[in-house]
Amino acid sequence: MTQFISKRNLLSWLKRLTEEHILIAPTRVAELTLFQKVNRVEEIIFDFNNTALSPKECLFPTTETLFNVEKKDGQVELTPVTIDQKTVIFGLRPCDARGIALMDSPFLKEPADALYQQHRDKITLVGLACLTACPECFCTSMGSAPDDPSNLDILLTEAEDGYIVQIITEKGKALLPEELLSTTQAPPPAPPSPKAVPTEGLVQRTQQVFDTPYWDRLADRCIHCNLCAYVCPTCYCFDIRDYTDKGKTERVRSWESCQSLGFTRQAGNIEPRNTKGARLRQRFAHKLLYFPEEFGALGCVGCGRCVRVCPVNIDIREIITDIQKLGAKVEA
Amino acid sequence: MNLAEQIRNKAKELLESKTVECVIGYERATDGLTARPLFVYEPEEVGKLIFDQTCTHNLVKYLLNRRDKATAIVVKPCDSRAINLLLNEKQIQREKVLIIGVVCPGIVETSWNQTSEKLPARCQLCRQHTPVVYDFLVGETPPTEPAVPKPYADIVEMEAKSVAERQSFWAEHFSRCIRCYACRQVCPGCYCSECFVGQLDPLWVGIRIAPSENQVWNAIRAFHLAGRCIGCHECERVCPVNIPLMLLNQKLEKEVGELFNFQAGLSAEALPPFATFQKGEKLGIGE
Repeated sequence: MTQFISKRNLLSWLKRLTEEHILIAPTRVAELTLFQKVNRVEEIIFDFNNTALSPKECLFPTTETLFNVEKKDGQVELTPVTIDQKTVIFGLRPCDARGIALMDSPFLKEPADALYQQHRDKITLVGLACLTACPECFCTSMGSAPDDPSNLDILLTEAEDGYIVQIITEKGKALLPEELLSTTQAPPPAPPSPKAVPTEGLVQRTQQVFDTPYWDRLADRCIHCNLCAYVCPTCYCFDIRDYTDKGKTERVRSWESCQSLGFTRQAGNIEPRNTKGARLRQRFAHKLLYFPEEFGALGCVGCGRCVRVCPVNIDIREIITDIQKLGAKVEA
Repeated sequence: MNLAEQIRNKAKELLESKTVECVIGYERATDGLTARPLFVYEPEEVGKLIFDQTCTHNLVKYLLNRRDKATAIVVKPCDSRAINLLLNEKQIQREKVLIIGVVCPGIVETSWNQTSEKLPARCQLCRQHTPVVYDFLVGETPPTEPAVPKPYADIVEMEAKSVAERQSFWAEHFSRCIRCYACRQVCPGCYCSECFVGQLDPLWVGIRIAPSENQVWNAIRAFHLAGRCIGCHECERVCPVNIPLMLLNQKLEKEVGELFNFQAGLSAEALPPFATFQKGEKLGIGE
């Protein structure tokens, strides 16, 4: 026997959430499905594969002020930014929830990023299980699954006339009033099977192909935009800048990407990654080598967004397959 | 012999004779349906080359990474105008480039894992089915180029709107911009070694990904392409948030056409209006 919420009760719950929280949910804008702040429940899209952009910007906004500094009577006053409003992300997929869990590793590692920590504490994640797999998805190869409840507070799975409810955390329990729930005997629909990519031994293989000409050849095709990094649920590089005006200074961070010319440029104009190949390798080495070495898991969740949006078909699934083959050759 | 076979044969000949060291063309993408750019260095690899109506990319941008290396490139008519643009602006050397021009049947609308039968607006309005510059032509030149009645219909429609309407139209679209710079990176006319948004010391445009900075970014990029955009629509194709960038580019193309009777990329010799100054030329302001 499992818990169940009818469509009607779900809508009335979501309506209540818009009144007490910031509700972020999939909406339809300019022929795109995007996570946006929802004022009316009618704006929410329930029937979608996945959103064009990941929900990472709810925790790591494209741009945010870190703190303000002001000189007052000869004293310097520093005011950190505080996040007061509680937020609910509704409708995120299990892969994207894993993306948030992976971003926690660098951001919450002591000393934790104070702003990210606040966003994280104030956010509740209500997931929607996938009933179909996109041709570019590969979540099961990256430690998640279409019906994976871990990393979420509540997971809903669409069934007849409503949703099967899994309440995973105390936060989730506190958010969803029990009186809206009933029970059902019906088993949940079988999850789809996304295609697999060969990830076994991948970290070692990535190390083995690190110094091969593979990356320069791949970089022939790459146009070095920031698109893959910006749609990615686990890319978290940023740039920081101080804006000073009339004695007040605001420190701002905005998304950046390893594909940008000048990424990690150092004093004296030293460019550690000064070729297109080195910059392209950085993206994949970060996900498949550095991140797992530091935090234990591959830094990709298999959402397939980068595959879908890349203007020139730089396909991480193909690259992983190539790394496996090439690494084995290097070893031999 | 179909188009792809002709391209393969030519590529093989050019690589075997070492006339060029690389041929830039198209191969099938990993979705099995659409196309992606391909760099062929070995004669044995020419079998991967394809050409069909999914070959949407303008490959000319890649020549800027190979300025000193002999390179053959497959171009559609719209792409061929980018070659003239780069020759005009002295960015590439004609003798280093061998142009395999394709008589274009029109490209169909594609996206990841999807193709259609539908020609995009740019192909419906195309007046140039044969490349404007080439060394080797693939396909048969049509007897006459088709007449296109109203090339700027959507621009005229935009012009009829009030300033406030246009302002809110663009504010809404630019608010979605994530400044991924895919539009710039794919554009054959965007090749500055340091872009104005890359100017960090002093900072020219803020790093914020926010409405006002997004507007500055998009507006200045559009102006930098005035009289230079060759109309390949690549910027609009790659935009992940569906900003109708070609409305801006075509508005400026229309203005430059009316003022200077000039369209970018039609000839490698015609001097671009913003690269010339004639004595006695008036600014057209306050006259």
